[in-house]
Amino acid sequence: MLFKGKIALVTGGSRGVGKAISTKLADMGADVIINYFRKKSTAKETAAELEKKGVRVHLIKANLAEADKIDDMFDEIEREFGRLDILINNAASGVARPALELDDRGWDWTMDVNAKAVLLCSQHAAKLMKDGGKIVNISSLGSRMVMPVYTAVGVSKAALEALTKYLAIEMADLGISVNAVSASAVLTEALKIYTSAQGLGDSVYQTTPAGRMVTPEDIANVVAFLCSEQSYMIRGQIIVVDGGYSVSPESAIKKGN
Amino acid sequence: MSVEETVREIVTRIVRRPAEEFGRETTFKDMGADSLDIVQILSAVEDKYDIELDDEALADVKDMAGFVAYIERKISENGN
Repeated sequence: MLFKGKIALVTGGSRGVGKAISTKLADMGADVIINYFRKKSTAKETAAELEKKGVRVHLIKANLAEADKIDDMFDEIEREFGRLDILINNAASGVARPALELDDRGWDWTMDVNAKAVLLCSQHAAKLMKDGGKIVNISSLGSRMVMPVYTAVGVSKAALEALTKYLAIEMADLGISVNAVSASAVLTEALKIYTSAQGLGDSVYQTTPAGRMVTPEDIANVVAFLCSEQSYMIRGQIIVVDGGYSVSPESAIKKGN
Repeated sequence: MSVEETVREIVTRIVRRPAEEFGRETTFKDMGADSLDIVQILSAVEDKYDIELDDEALADVKDMAGFVAYIERKISENGN
């Protein structure tokens, strides 16, 4: 129970990768605050599952594209818990269009949720991390590799990764570690929606040199490590979890995947 | 404020159209709402009434009158 007594906030923590992270942190003893956007029933189900592990779970509905909703969320955290030890900036959204068809609102929405909210949540968290803390931001390979209609999200993730480095340096004096985990395609509902909406078929469901797709639990394991003191000297890094895909795409093809 | 008035205020604010363009038979398409607008409208309505709207059920909603009726049903199911 490495995280017993710790308080963690996981944005977008009720589904997909966020749920796997919430579950892992709860397994390790942390009390978990789960932020969700719209699916209250799903959030309640996740909370019920986690509470069975004997930890405290607190749900907060908030649209992270709105700065005042982020203010309200952290006011509630301060009221309910008085402090915070771990922040996982996992929530993500995005408009799926090619660059030449992107409009300013779609761009702003994607940047607001995926990049600006990371800054605002980290600023708030710094005030509540009175004994230091850990921040882990969730990115994707779209920050460095081009994928169909992923423009806005890919650019927002590049911003998140650069922000991770700046925050890591600026927050080091506060005893706060900041890192990011970047994944290739992870098998979640979000991926199914993305691929079906874009008519990409099964092309995205590639296995990797490691022999299978990345799972939400693969991401959660690395996040948990980055939240532990064992990772103390890792700062401002983007840890890639992709089964070797990004360094050896040809090997995946040769395997007939 | 009635549910219809509240929904009119939310929809016209998010799609940035005058309130006069919002009629009972107006559709989201008539209002120029794209998928991003609709997500924001649904989120704002959910926040306002502390309800969860089902996207699949909403696919059958034809116009603003239907949207308002669906929200009213959800509010009453929620015991508000």
